[in-house]
Amino acid sequence: MSDTETLFIQHFNEEARPLSYYLKNMAGYTGLKKALGMSQEDIINEVKKANVRGRGGAGFPAGVKWGFIPKQSAKPKYMVCNADESEPGTFKDRDLMRYTPHLLLEGIAIGSYAIGANAAYIYIRGEYVREAKLLEAAINEAYQAGYLGKNILGSGFSLDITVHRGAGAYICGEETALLNSLEGKRGEPRVKPPFPAIAGAFGGPTIVNNVETLAGVPFIINNGGDWYAKLGKLEKSGGTRLFGISGHVKRPGIYELPSGSITIRELIYDYGHGILGDKKLKAVIPGGSSAPVLTADEIDVIADVDPIMKIGSMFGSAGMIVVSEDYCVVKLLARISKFYAHESCGQCTPCREGCRWMEEVIERIEHGHGHEQDLNLLLSIADNINAKTLCALGDAAAGPVMSFVKKFRADFEAHIRSGKCPNA
Amino acid sequence: MPKCVIDGREVEFSPGENLIEVAKKVGVEIPYFCYHPGLSVVAQCRMCAVEVEKMPKLQTACSTVATDGMVVKTRSERALANQKSVMEFLLINHPLDCPICDQAGECDLQDYSYEYGSPYSRYTEERRTFLDLDMGPVIVKNMNRCIHCTRCIRLGAEVLGIREMVATQRGNKTEIATIDGRPLETDYAGNYADICPVGSLLLKDFRFKKRVWFLKKTATVCEGCARGCNMDIQHDANVIYRCTPRENLEVNQYWLCDEGRFNFHYVHDADRIMEPAVRADGELKMTEFGASLDAARAALKGKKAAVLLGTDLTQEEAKLLQEFLPKYLPNASVFHFGTPGIVSEADDAPADKILKRKSKTSNLHGFEKLGFKGLKTLPTGLDAALVIRGGRATLPELKGLSTVGIGVFTREEAATFSVVLPGLTFAEKDGTIVNFQGREQHIRRAIFPAGNCKALSEILAMWAHGTGGNA
Ligand SMILES: Cc1cc2nc3c(=O)[nH]c(=O)nc-3n(C[C@H](O)[C@H](O)[C@H](O)COP(=O)(O)O)c2cc1C
Ligand code: SF4
Ligand code: SF4
Ligand code: FES
Repeated sequence: MSDTETLFIQHFNEEARPLSYYLKNMAGYTGLKKALGMSQEDIINEVKKANVRGRGGAGFPAGVKWGFIPKQSAKPKYMVCNADESEPGTFKDRDLMRYTPHLLLEGIAIGSYAIGANAAYIYIRGEYVREAKLLEAAINEAYQAGYLGKNILGSGFSLDITVHRGAGAYICGEETALLNSLEGKRGEPRVKPPFPAIAGAFGGPTIVNNVETLAGVPFIINNGGDWYAKLGKLEKSGGTRLFGISGHVKRPGIYELPSGSITIRELIYDYGHGILGDKKLKAVIPGGSSAPVLTADEIDVIADVDPIMKIGSMFGSAGMIVVSEDYCVVKLLARISKFYAHESCGQCTPCREGCRWMEEVIERIEHGHGHEQDLNLLLSIADNINAKTLCALGDAAAGPVMSFVKKFRADFEAHIRSGKCPNA
Repeated sequence: MPKCVIDGREVEFSPGENLIEVAKKVGVEIPYFCYHPGLSVVAQCRMCAVEVEKMPKLQTACSTVATDGMVVKTRSERALANQKSVMEFLLINHPLDCPICDQAGECDLQDYSYEYGSPYSRYTEERRTFLDLDMGPVIVKNMNRCIHCTRCIRLGAEVLGIREMVATQRGNKTEIATIDGRPLETDYAGNYADICPVGSLLLKDFRFKKRVWFLKKTATVCEGCARGCNMDIQHDANVIYRCTPRENLEVNQYWLCDEGRFNFHYVHDADRIMEPAVRADGELKMTEFGASLDAARAALKGKKAAVLLGTDLTQEEAKLLQEFLPKYLPNASVFHFGTPGIVSEADDAPADKILKRKSKTSNLHGFEKLGFKGLKTLPTGLDAALVIRGGRATLPELKGLSTVGIGVFTREEAATFSVVLPGLTFAEKDGTIVNFQGREQHIRRAIFPAGNCKALSEILAMWAHGTGGNA
């Protein structure tokens, strides 16, 4: 496999799903076999060397995170796969689970072994009913073949994987809310510290990783951390990325490219085949709907964690939402803000009160009932939420408001002055 | 001891202490809503955020543990801006009905809004409103005033051992309510009103009775059981309006049970006998101390009598009786009484997992210490009894005996008594009681004695002098 530059996408079809395909065409479970013969530290070191930035949104190096798990623990340790995938614009984990479920299971098994967990959970977005069933089927296959369960491949290591379906709350993708939900509690984030690696599921040391992060692990073990790191074109970002392109492009979908190898412009025009109707580009949201928006002038940036952070936005989940010139950005922001207000768990003050307030003001502006002072009010509310909430949902709600109002102020002012959407 | 610096002041702390507590030690007040020292830390209200050197974001003081050398600024520009902003967020949907809210005057939201809030509102949208269901006899709810601090939820789950308060819905629609809108079940419900920082959870018993700023507090101890929870009697113009818990980490932490909290009502009970009374023509008739003392002596004279002492009396009262009884009623047998089935110290045990003890009187342990014997059954062949009690001890069956009562009785309780010499409740006297831990605690007089009620020492002195004084 090492002669191709993509790891996943060539297998994104129905034939790839069964264990037999996985064993035959993807060196299935050889990574696990190899890992079971390695020490836990050596595995974590390979993952560190691989420079895997977490694919769930924050881009935290996976190997470093695994290293936080205490060696000794009175309580059982857990591996949790975050398959909640609810950020608008993000739909890559779905394909990984739909077409290559065993890759994920193997990644989870290696990770569990590396941190010393005998129980793992896949917390999957409630709407992914089909994918949950497919995962269950794959888990059954793996148990029967001896890749899961007691004494895996005669190693003495045992692991059970359980699929847990969410119930339709975006906030349950936030790792600590996920853990609460998993434990049967109300899905709201916990105060950090303690971080999950110290006290996570049921109080035990826990690693929470995104689907794509874990699906890359078998490749790291089979080919080495250095090999994986070199797939990436930037120093601190290894492997490949699954980009989700949606919105007003001619060819929306999932694309896989080496990390740091491409600009947003290339993604839109070379892979997405340009804007629908050959219109001009108005804006791009580069990493799921919570990422601050970029204007058409800002798209020559490399689509990866650090470069996008440098220009004040976020690479997040690599879901690019492309907006054409004839689409109303006020309407778009109204929709985004409605989403975050609706999904706020409501436990902390600025997010609970502020997200709804922003939603109301933007909705007013969209419908032509805005006032001149509303724009500064919006910026002020967003600023009062940003970096002051318990979890990052507050930032996710504030970022779009601040960036849209700052970068497209004229569009907002036009709504306010004309009392309606100028495009309507 | 490790040290940190708060607003330029160096302060020592013990490992594990959070910044709110550490700041208090040097007189720095960090405003907070959701934090409560008796509950888990959730860092939800965001009011307590402060600046900590080397940390890019504001840190919530409630959830930040002090570390050696930490430099904290509680009134930096960013911290002040955040306090102002949290106040704004909390107030945009608040009804601002302080003039008709019982919490006014002791409301954290009201106090902080003067200190940290803005006099102007930028909010022009429609306010959020809720409908409330009845929560049972103790608490009245007003969800519109709620600031979602979740203290009530945590109190139930973590202290009272019952998950009855929950958050339903989510986000801006989050409602704090009981499960399925059921009435509260705990018999500690009054604490919900205490820990609610605003007027969302209030005592039905106290509602609309008094503006809190008129109330004076007398620090005392609850007499509801052998624990002796520390509390304040809150009163004005000789009327008690409510009792609230007083922190004592070794006895009751921050809490009171409902029975103890509402116990004070008997002090003002319309049926309480507040004048000396003697039975004539089958009825207790009001008289003066002179006549009633004569009647009391006569009722016991030459009789085979038992003296029954309520374990709701104080140590001082008990010691006085230890001197008085051998002299003036030398042939009587003496017993203490209080709770049916609880005869001695050994019978007193926890009555639940929270605070309550099986002994429903305050001073069983004090009486045992002084060597009094508990009453199991009355000796046979008795024809008279002298009953002395403070107001809570459960009276034994005294039918057929010529009975004299000294202390606090209702007309109903004294239905078979020949004479009543009215005494003082725990709210009307000073004294010492001993709780189940052997801890001596002090009850303090909050109000003047009702009617013509007198201290036991006075009544015994009159008895000893063979006079009725000039009462
Ligand atoms: C509001 C919110 C929603 C999130 N939703 C997801 C999600 O759906 N899937 C996901 O993998 N991570 C999500 N995250 C990120 C997780 O908290 C966590 O960082 C991630 O699962 C860690 O995995 P990684 O290190 O492999 O990226 C979310 C974070 C926030 C604040
Ligand atoms: S920021 Fe929003 S979603 Fe996150 S804890 Fe606070 S209220 Fe809940
Ligand atoms: S009812 Fe009171 S204690 Fe409960 S969450 Fe609301 S404000 Fe807090
Ligand atoms: S007191 Fe710290 S966040 Fe509420």
